[in-house]
This record gives sequence, structure tokens and C-alpha cells, in this order.
Amino acid sequence: MTSAIDRTPLRARLGVRAVVIVGLLWTLVPLVWMVASSFKSDVDVTAAEPEFLFQPTLENYRSLFTGANNLGPYIWHSVLASGISSALAVAIGALAGYGLAGTRMRAKKHVAFWIISTRMAPIAVVVLPLFLLFRGANLIDSIPGLILAYLTFNLPFAIWLMSAFFAEVPPSVEESALVAGCTRWQAFWHVVLPLTKSGLVTTFVLCLVFSWNDYAFALVFSGPHSQTLPIAADQLVTQTGIDWGQLTAIGTIVVLPMIAAGLAVRRWLVTGLTLGAVTGE
Amino acid sequence: MTTTLDAPAEAPVRNTKPRKRIGFHGLMMTPGTALLALLSVIPLVTITAMSFSRVRLLGGVVFDNVGLTYWARLFGDLDLWVQWLRTIAFFVLTVGLEMLLGLGFALCLWKLVRARNLLLTLFLLPMFVAPVIVGLLGRFLTDSTFGLYTWLLGLVGYHGDILGGGTSAFLAVVAMDVWEWTPLITLVVLAGLTAVPQSIREAAALDGANGWQTFRHVLLPSISGVLLVALLIRSMDAIRYFDIISVTTNGGPADATKTVPIRLYETAFRFFDLGYAAVIGLVMLVVTILIARAFVRVLDRKGLTR
Repeated sequence: MTSAIDRTPLRARLGVRAVVIVGLLWTLVPLVWMVASSFKSDVDVTAAEPEFLFQPTLENYRSLFTGANNLGPYIWHSVLASGISSALAVAIGALAGYGLAGTRMRAKKHVAFWIISTRMAPIAVVVLPLFLLFRGANLIDSIPGLILAYLTFNLPFAIWLMSAFFAEVPPSVEESALVAGCTRWQAFWHVVLPLTKSGLVTTFVLCLVFSWNDYAFALVFSGPHSQTLPIAADQLVTQTGIDWGQLTAIGTIVVLPMIAAGLAVRRWLVTGLTLGAVTGE
Repeated sequence: MTTTLDAPAEAPVRNTKPRKRIGFHGLMMTPGTALLALLSVIPLVTITAMSFSRVRLLGGVVFDNVGLTYWARLFGDLDLWVQWLRTIAFFVLTVGLEMLLGLGFALCLWKLVRARNLLLTLFLLPMFVAPVIVGLLGRFLTDSTFGLYTWLLGLVGYHGDILGGGTSAFLAVVAMDVWEWTPLITLVVLAGLTAVPQSIREAAALDGANGWQTFRHVLLPSISGVLLVALLIRSMDAIRYFDIISVTTNGGPADATKTVPIRLYETAFRFFDLGYAAVIGLVMLVVTILIARAFVRVLDRKGLTR
């Protein structure tokens, strides 16, 4: 890789390094500070001079799970609502994505645009009527309600993304399966679908991240029986003040699993986050 | 694609007729599009109906037709126009900074061949952080008595209450969005740069192009498609930016950060003025669709849609 053209002068190389270091500080300091603060005692968290060396304690995490507002149910609601919604989105999205990638109907472009426009609709435009519909259907403060609400953004995303992954599969693969005597469904299920395994995983993970991180929908639709982690974090902000130790602990709990999941599918992130319009590498 | 092979797959003759009409692909699309239609068409009809009605929530949901009352209010609502201008300013600042910083970081990472992957991984982390946490973390870092960033700014001589002042609060919420989404641009641009063939760069070097010339005439054109997609994807999200503002300043201080989504939320769920909220929402929808149309058209012209 290091050919003559990559050999930049020393000054430029130092400049590059400086930019990267500043960039890393800008990116990482808030996260490191959050995780560090979650292990601090109350006195250390709110010290006027930032405490860089401190006695770590698990007190914040302990009080999150033993206090009056046990975090357990919130985690469970988050896992259920975002997990089921993402699984449904991937399952239905894989079928529809396959159909969209392969169809030769004339209105294909319009259908594709309609699908993606529902993903891009302002959250409030979806929330507002759903609020009324959910009130009528008794879906406010219920996990099925949240699952359905998350599907409004997960499903179009999954359809579009899966169709990008299906479009990558050469048609000859399916053709030879059909010649070998498979039915259309068998060719799809046993031959084409396994080839998009990375697409399925990426789609699931990104749907999971979007719904796990959702705040706007949960704010409107959830109640005591369905509140999710982002709402729990927000609820620590009260009139009397904020327990920053517990808040940074919740933050750590919300963020770490999604970072792990997101990095696991890093190779396909470019495809995923640009909805397949750009296939990376 | 599979045209020539349709015949052997469709065994029973009886079935060919209905299948011909929607086909296997159409059949596969049905559950998804039907569900999506339920999830989008019904809400769209509902919100349109809402915009012509006074909605009463007590004793079941009741719509009283009030005609164009709420639509007429739109034109006299100076606050809303100011909020639109603020949203646009927000949009230009966040997306602009994200593009510039993302491009800069990507170019630097691209130069660092050895540690590139590890560094990119570290750069990507903010993208997965829930926006609510970004907002709350922002409040924590800029708290006027113990915030780390307040303290750092104090060291260089700035002693204001960051989220308490209009301009500084506005810039702070911009910075939070920039923090969260610059990584996306970095990732996409870096992918574009690594795809530029070495031979093209060598040719440019042989022709005696300097760093800037190579960037301007070789690299930039090759990644312009990628950049465009990144720009437009970010644009769609920046318009509906809600979570961070909601938990940091909730539109304040003195409306300095009140963008259209915040205004809409407040109109609907604080004042329960649902009819007017529907009007604001529909206008947002139109703006979004116009941007999305541009998105698809430009991509089409670049041949980036499949």
C-alpha cells in the first residue's frame, strides 16, 4: 500500500496525526467521561474540579436495581419491544425486499419511493395520528403498541435494505436452483436467502439500534407498563435535580450493547446506513 | 432476470393465471406492502382529517369539522415561520459541519494506513449512542457548576452558562448532533476513498499534481456520489431532529432552540391543540417529501439507484 504517492512529507504526516488525535478526543471524551462518572460516588460526580482519579464504586448501579424505581422492567420492555419489532421487520422485510429487488412491474420506482418516504416522514407526523388510533385501539402503554410503532420506521428500512442485499445476489444462482427442480419458494428459502445472511444480520442490528434508541415514540406511547430505557434515563431528570451518578450508569447500560451490536456489523454499515444506495469497499 | 425460467417453476397450469397477474415477486411483497400501507396510509388519512377538525379526547376520540380554520391560522403564525427559519439554520449548520468534519477525518484516516481500522472503529462509537443519552450527556458535560466542558472552557476564559444563553445553547445542541453524526460521514467517505483505484492516484502523482490538486480533481469527483448520498440521508434526519433538543433545552432558553418538531410536539401534547399540530405536521411532511424527491432524482441521474 505504501507506494511513492503515499509517502507524504513529515509535516503533513504530523498534521494528519494531530487532526486524528483531536478528532479522537472530541469523539471519545464524552463517552469515557460518562462511563467513568458512572463508577463515581455522588460527591465525586458533582465536584467542581473534575476528578480524574477517584475511588471506583458500584453504588450507582446498585441503586438503579434496588431503588424504588427498579431498572429491570425498563430493560425488559426495551428488549421486548425493540427485539420483536426488529425481528418482525427483518422477516417481513426480507420477503418484500426480495420481491422488490426481483419484480419487473412498471410501477416499481414509485413503490420503492413510497416505501422509503414512509421511513423519512417526520416522526411527529407518524406519532400524531398513531396516538389517536392507539387510543381508540387501546394500544397506548402496551408492548404491542410500541412494537407496531417501531415497525413504522423499521419496516420500510428493512424492505429497502434487504432489497439492496438481494440485488447483489447474481440471478444465475436462483436460475440454477430452479433448473435443478426447486419451486420458487424453495429457491428463495434454501438458496437465495442464505446468501444474504450478512444482510439479514445487518438489517436486524440496525433496526435494533434504531428502536432501542428511540425516545420520541416511547415518550408518547408508553406508560408505566411499557416504558423503555431512554424514558427511564429521561425520568431521572426531575424538578429537584438530577442524580448524575445514576444517569451516567443508565447511559452506560443503554449505550454499550448497541455499540457492541453496531461494531459487530461494521463491515456492512455503509450499505446499511446509506440504505444500500452506496455499497462500500 | 429469471424470465426465461419462469415456465418450469409454475407447475400446475391452473395456477398460472392469478400468478401471472402479481407474480411470485409480487406475492412476496404483499405482506410487507400491506402492513406498510396500514402503518402509513391510515395515519396519513387520519392526520389529514385531524387538520380540518377540532379533536376532542374526552369520552372517546371525536372529530368536530372546523373546515380550514387551522390551515388559515398557519399563515398568520409568525412564530412558526421563525421556527422554520431556525430549523433551516440548524439544518445547514449541523449538516454542513458534519460534512466538513466527516470529510476531514476521513481523509486523515485514509492517510494513516496502518492503524486505520482500529481508529475508524473508535471514531464510529457516537453513532450508536441513543440521542437521548447524547442530550443528557451534553447537559452533564455543560452543567454550569461541575460540567467537564464548562471547566475546560473556564480554563480558556469562557464563563457562561452554556445551555442558559440563547446563542450558546443553540450552538451546544448543534454540537451534540455533530458529535453524534459526523462518524456516519467519516465512515461513508472513507469507504468511498478506499474504493478509488490506486492507478488513478498514481497517474495524478506522475502528472505532478500536488495534494490539493489531487484532492480537487481526482478524489473529490470519485467520491462525489458517496458524499451526495451521505448528505441527503443526513438531511432527512436533520429536519426531524427532536430527541436531543427535547431533553437538553426543550426549545429554550427564550425559544432559542425551538425548532419545528419541538413546536409540533408542544402544540400536540402539551396544549393538546391536535388539529393545528396536524397542520404543522403536514407542512413538515411536504418539505420532507420534496427533499426525498430531490434525493431520488439526483441519485437517479448519477445512476446510483439500482
